[in-house]
Amino acid sequence: MTLVQLSDGQLDALKEISNIGMGHAATALSQLIGQTVHLRVPRITIAEIAEMPDLVGGPEEVVVGITMQIFGDARGTILLIFPRESVQQLLVRLVGQKPKGLMFDELSASALKELGNILASAYLSALGGLLHMTLFPSIPLLAYDMAGAVVDNVLIELSQEGDLALMVETEFHGQSPSDEVIRGHFMILPDPRTLDVLLEAGRCGHGG
Amino acid sequence: MADKLRVGISDFQVARAPEILVSYGLGSCLGIVLYDARLQLGGLAHTLLPGARPGGKESRPAKHVEGAIRLMVDELLAAGSDLQYLTAKLAGGANMFESLNPGADDGVGARNISMGRQVLAQIGIPLVAEDVGGNYGRTIELDLATGLLRVRSLRVGELTI
Repeated sequence: MTLVQLSDGQLDALKEISNIGMGHAATALSQLIGQTVHLRVPRITIAEIAEMPDLVGGPEEVVVGITMQIFGDARGTILLIFPRESVQQLLVRLVGQKPKGLMFDELSASALKELGNILASAYLSALGGLLHMTLFPSIPLLAYDMAGAVVDNVLIELSQEGDLALMVETEFHGQSPSDEVIRGHFMILPDPRTLDVLLEAGRCGHGG
Repeated sequence: MADKLRVGISDFQVARAPEILVSYGLGSCLGIVLYDARLQLGGLAHTLLPGARPGGKESRPAKHVEGAIRLMVDELLAAGSDLQYLTAKLAGGANMFESLNPGADDGVGARNISMGRQVLAQIGIPLVAEDVGGNYGRTIELDLATGLLRVRSLRVGELTI
């Protein structure tokens, strides 16, 4: 099975799984920053690898990328992308300061990696619970640079198998409607073999 | 000024002056320039991987350093160039997530660079300039009127090679 063969029904199933996973991640994130945060998955997209930088705001857009490998009963890669403004808002809430220039101090870098770890762990444990699988993320790695450059490093592994990737768009909402929405892109890049496993397990989990 | 022609990932373009070819945000990807000063004709490729998997069928040969160079050479020769007039430049091949590949030498960026040098040497195209490696992204612009390659990055600023 390749990504391009996914039916609308299968995409809906993946979106539902993702929304549940993000719900768990939101709880964990709310605890971390001491404020209620809601995470929503407005869209799941299957995109050509070559188009990914455009989908996250353009290849020269300055973004933070946090990447982790998926280990356990399935394999793949997770890539979280936050635009610069969203990162600044996140850091104000996480560590009380905005980054200066293009370098993070140790505290900010570590807070962002922890954020990645929390989101990925919560997501993977929800996904794993649903699918009766054990899934966990590797240590997070961080880059702060042009979107094109951040994305291509991660996509390379996938591109050896094919030219398409699965992108779960994610919006972070605060409790009050006046809070600015923090936008991020949570990309799950399953191995083609892993995608089969996920969909198969999803079918069983949903009783048909 | 004319619109710049954009070269996307796994793609390449061949054009003549006064066109400008641009490729945005290369990380470990390798940008490959081939240029014929005599005809003000050149090509730019934005490649992802060093070479095709053995035995693998490839839908986009320009995804690989080797395939992209050979395709560009073919197209440049078809457009009237000659191997003896071609020169090459390389940019990119960074290692964006430092600890992803602790031995940076075997990271994909480094392998892209060495494959680029190797294929150019095999074909016999002199490599006249390069700005490769490091841990930061680059945007590159080839001015076909001069053959100069502008390399922009957030970390280093702008340089012309």
